Amino acid sequence: MLPPQLSALLLLALSPAVGAVFQDEVGHLDYHYELLGLPQRETTFFHRPRRDDKASLLYTLTDIGVLGAVNPGNGAVVWRQLLNDTSTTQSAGGLGLLRAGEGENWIASALGKSVHAWDAVSGRNKFWLDFPSEVKDLEIMELTEENRRKDVLVLFDDDKVPVLRRLSGNDGSVVWEFRDTTRDTALQVSTNVERVFVISLRGTPAAYNLKVTVIDTLTGRRMDELVIGTKTDVHSANHVMFVGANSAAPIVAWTDAALTTLRVNVLGTKTRQEFPLAPGTVAVEIHAPRLIQSDPHFLVHSRTATGNRADVYHVDLKTNAITKAYELPLLPGPGAFSTSSSGANVYFTRITGEELTLQASTSHGILGRWPIKAGESTPLHPVHAVAEVIKKAGSTDSYAVRAAAVTDADDWVLIRNGETAWSRPEGMTGAVAAAFAEIPESEDLARTLELEAHSNPLEAYMHRVRRHIRDLQHMPAWLNGIPSRLMSSILGTEIAAKDGQPARDSFGFHKLVILATARGRLYGLDIGNHGRVLWSKRVVDIPKGQKWDVKGMHVDESRGQVTVRGAAGEHVVVKTDTGDIISKTPPGSTPPVQGAALVDSLAGQWLLPIGLNGHIDDLPAHSAPKQVVVVRGGPDEGVELKGVAFPANGQSSSSALTTWTFSLPKGQRTVSIATRPTHDVVASIGRVLGDRRVKYKYLNPNTLVLAAADDAASTLTVYLLDAVSGQILSSTTHEGVDTGKPVECAMAENWFLCTFFGQYTLRENPTQSLRGYQVVVSDLYETEEPNDRGPLGDAANFSSVDPIRSPTGVALPSVVSQAYVLAAPISALQVTQTRQGISARQVLAYLPEAHGIVGIPRILLDPRRPVGRDPTAAEIEEGLIKYSPVIEMDPKFVITHERDVLGVKKIITAPSIVESTSLVFAYGIDVFGTRVAPSMLFDILGKGFNKVALIGTVLAIMAGVVALSPMVRKKQIDMRWKAPM
Amino acid sequence: MQLFTFLSLVGGALAAASTTVTFRLPATHQLPNPFGLPPSTHATLTAAGLRLSAPLTTSNTFVFHNVSTGSYLVDIHCPTHAFPPLRLDVSPSSTSGTSSGTPTEGLKVQAWETYRGNDWDNKGEVLPVLEGGVIEVTKVLGQKNYFSERSTFSVFSILKNPMILLGLVSMAIFLGMPYLVNNMDPEMRAEWEERQKSNPMNSLMGGGASGQPGAANPMANFDMAAFLAGSSSKKDNNGNGNGDSRPEDNGGNGGNGGKGGKESRKKR
Repeated sequence: MLPPQLSALLLLALSPAVGAVFQDEVGHLDYHYELLGLPQRETTFFHRPRRDDKASLLYTLTDIGVLGAVNPGNGAVVWRQLLNDTSTTQSAGGLGLLRAGEGENWIASALGKSVHAWDAVSGRNKFWLDFPSEVKDLEIMELTEENRRKDVLVLFDDDKVPVLRRLSGNDGSVVWEFRDTTRDTALQVSTNVERVFVISLRGTPAAYNLKVTVIDTLTGRRMDELVIGTKTDVHSANHVMFVGANSAAPIVAWTDAALTTLRVNVLGTKTRQEFPLAPGTVAVEIHAPRLIQSDPHFLVHSRTATGNRADVYHVDLKTNAITKAYELPLLPGPGAFSTSSSGANVYFTRITGEELTLQASTSHGILGRWPIKAGESTPLHPVHAVAEVIKKAGSTDSYAVRAAAVTDADDWVLIRNGETAWSRPEGMTGAVAAAFAEIPESEDLARTLELEAHSNPLEAYMHRVRRHIRDLQHMPAWLNGIPSRLMSSILGTEIAAKDGQPARDSFGFHKLVILATARGRLYGLDIGNHGRVLWSKRVVDIPKGQKWDVKGMHVDESRGQVTVRGAAGEHVVVKTDTGDIISKTPPGSTPPVQGAALVDSLAGQWLLPIGLNGHIDDLPAHSAPKQVVVVRGGPDEGVELKGVAFPANGQSSSSALTTWTFSLPKGQRTVSIATRPTHDVVASIGRVLGDRRVKYKYLNPNTLVLAAADDAASTLTVYLLDAVSGQILSSTTHEGVDTGKPVECAMAENWFLCTFFGQYTLRENPTQSLRGYQVVVSDLYETEEPNDRGPLGDAANFSSVDPIRSPTGVALPSVVSQAYVLAAPISALQVTQTRQGISARQVLAYLPEAHGIVGIPRILLDPRRPVGRDPTAAEIEEGLIKYSPVIEMDPKFVITHERDVLGVKKIITAPSIVESTSLVFAYGIDVFGTRVAPSMLFDILGKGFNKVALIGTVLAIMAGVVALSPMVRKKQIDMRWKAPM
Repeated sequence: MQLFTFLSLVGGALAAASTTVTFRLPATHQLPNPFGLPPSTHATLTAAGLRLSAPLTTSNTFVFHNVSTGSYLVDIHCPTHAFPPLRLDVSPSSTSGTSSGTPTEGLKVQAWETYRGNDWDNKGEVLPVLEGGVIEVTKVLGQKNYFSERSTFSVFSILKNPMILLGLVSMAIFLGMPYLVNNMDPEMRAEWEERQKSNPMNSLMGGGASGQPGAANPMANFDMAAFLAGSSSKKDNNGNGNGDSRPEDNGGNGGNGGKGGKESRKKR
């Protein structure tokens, strides 16, 4: 058996042939948005990671479960951790918790059933604990009996019984555990210095009252139990607005369902106080300091439909009475408040679209006011914000404020004294669909050309001459641009696009990407300009906690429009370059859809919505698809495929006709379906072998790969289907497959591949077993023999429905397969696309563990690699290398190189005008894009081509010639005169 | 099996027999500073139907809680360094924790290096399990290098080329020799010229290159055509070589090239 190190070496030896990223191309070819997700109000704060250092970082746990630290100075990510790495689905309700102890160098977080603590500077884990029950709340215990140790209080909901555990801040070990005796809804945990409070809801839904259990900090024993208010005080857990913690007098506040009164209780007391809310209030938020030494003041922020106002209350520490101190006036438009405290002082920062104001909690006098200078972006609409207030040294009343606000455009903006310091497009996280689009610029030209083609030749000629004369007006500008173009071409700098508008380039690298996110927004990115966001628009209103399920996206290049279809039947058409909405139907106006298929019809290409259960309505004859549409059917849409055709019947409408049905055997379910990409040009119909014979590729455009898993038997069956007839062209069953882990397939040209986790004994040698992530690659050829085209021969036409029957049956492709063990799991498979398909192909895949995208050369995945022997001379000539069972993820294959690209869900590729290069765009949490040249850059000069050196060499040679020629001439003349003969 | 159930009962309240396994990255010469590893470094434990992940902690460890019996593939994923794949076996201990593991829970922890694409039972080097289920991963395959080097333009790389070196040396001789000769001591120069006359290599430098008007070149009027034709020009050459023909030289070929000179000599 080949030692693995040796095989790895073999691979390393190969790598120069496939090319990697050059250091100087970083940031030139590729672009990367290192994103976190939308910060949440309760889990975002400024915190000083080092006790004696003034610098603070901005910490957040976002709605997609990414925990990160951001440098507030420049908005760069310091570190980040993906806490829910199973999926980016936003879990309903509890979206994670994040707390930091004052002056501590660690932060504690909780998500789902696990509690973790992280080093605040390095982002390293301190401890990670998984519990059997859901975490409801997390709080830091500021003072413990042990010196300088702060502990973590975690409240769990263990099958409707509140359980509180105190975890040591050092290693997460449980100090004590408190288990309530009754079945109540655990809500939150709070603490002042002396006691711990567990707030839970007692009663039945819609008729709760609040129960506060007082617990001893040292032993975790129940000291007291208080029931506050009457029954039916609280309708649902959502109405409990706020539970303060770690302040001198923590409060709990709740409202009634109609939002007319706010009821507040100081924890540890039995009384509650009522305060009326302004009429028309639609939302209430409470902001209070979380420091034990701060004044017990809090702010109630009430939003109305048109504006927002706030009231500031003070708590008397002796009597526990709450009094209203002052109020902040109603201001129109959205606004956000934030609390910050330093020592005993509490400051409230108010951000509206126009200005940033700072007030102390003690009086209504405004300490600072900064008008907001919104950058080039649209007016700021803050949703929520966190602020840091620094009292400038030396002066008494001079403050500096920086506030990080989440806007309703899903951006995260830092405003420093009124100026926008940075803005992060966090809304691009949770992307669900994307498509490449050409820059719609030469459309006028295309239209004129079309016009000319259709008019009579003389007229067309005149028109053309006139057009060219008209075009002369651009000549001075063009001539003016020559020097700068020349300089930029020599120095390798980039010219800024004229007036900011993207323009096509001659290589086809300059395109747009339209990105749809789960939050119902569309983004237009200019990928020729480092992925700059051209526009972004909310096109669908998605309720909080739900995701926009985009089923299909189609770009109509001739019109410069993109159509997006969602699962709830909504569809929206926008312009690709500006994002202007052309037409839009809201969710629910048409029946929900299972998917959307791009079909050809007499009226052109369009996205056909496919209803649930594969139902397609009757269509007008001009928009009836010409192809057979494959839909999923059956009760749960996972076990049946149907081919649906729209036969022309000469009438104005045509109805769907099911032409074939493919049902999976019992126990199997569909896990992955792959088809050939829409742009899948094949340069050569055959593969030339070393001895000049040809193996002809099986290039049926109507094939699809269906991977079906059987959970009980742990098998994966891969079917290759003819999409027109439903005929099974080939099927393979893999045993010992972990069906719980992701299975993915991809298909291109005449080959397909599937990746899965396998653990099985070898069939040839039952004493040996294997485990690991694997990929199985299959090539399809017309026949097994070279130089043989099978029963079809050179026939130009072929029918799947009425196939040629060779003596025994339908002519089936010959399949050559090979399995490889992968060094790391891969997902989001995609194959590079080039214009003519001449370049070799690369399989692009996301490495979920390494956070990178790998481009595996197809030559490594070739199923015809000779096994167990060195390749013969003919095989070497064909480009085959010896089979090695492992495909190592050589770092040189990683097209994202050192970048940490998080949570890629899908990769899309597009050809450019130059054959060598394929455009790549990956989305999910992060957004990443680059260009790859699988067969190296053979048709354009790369960055490695040193134009300065070239010109320098030419100049040096010229100088040499000029300097030497008089000498040579002199020498020649001298020689003639002095020649010895 | 009975022993196992017994032990797990002894183990206490834990419902399923499981243990905590810790992998530690000590400072080695391949990885001198494990504290410099990025925070995205993590380890995974994989088996059919199971995947556990543990991030790198502040003490350079990966802690897996609740690992039940089974055989696992352990991968350490790090953006800067490559680590070999490992195999971890957690099995009911037959003899209560002789070699390793935590005897109280009755599970034996063993770890080996493993080889991808090889038989699962083809185990590599054993990794010692320290007290408390701690396994030290000392082997690092190396640092990851994502970038390929671009061949850079450098004057030295051009100068290193032997052809260029040859050209430079000959150029130096071509340009420098006349000056050198001019600056010579007159006696030495005469001596040197004498030697030059007998040096056949001189011819290669060109007839008049040496810069002395009277220097007769033994090969300068070597007539290849005549030589090949087998004519008697050899004699002439010898005669010329001896320096006898100087007067003729002066008279003969005013504006003619060397060839013409030869021609005229031959006719004589």
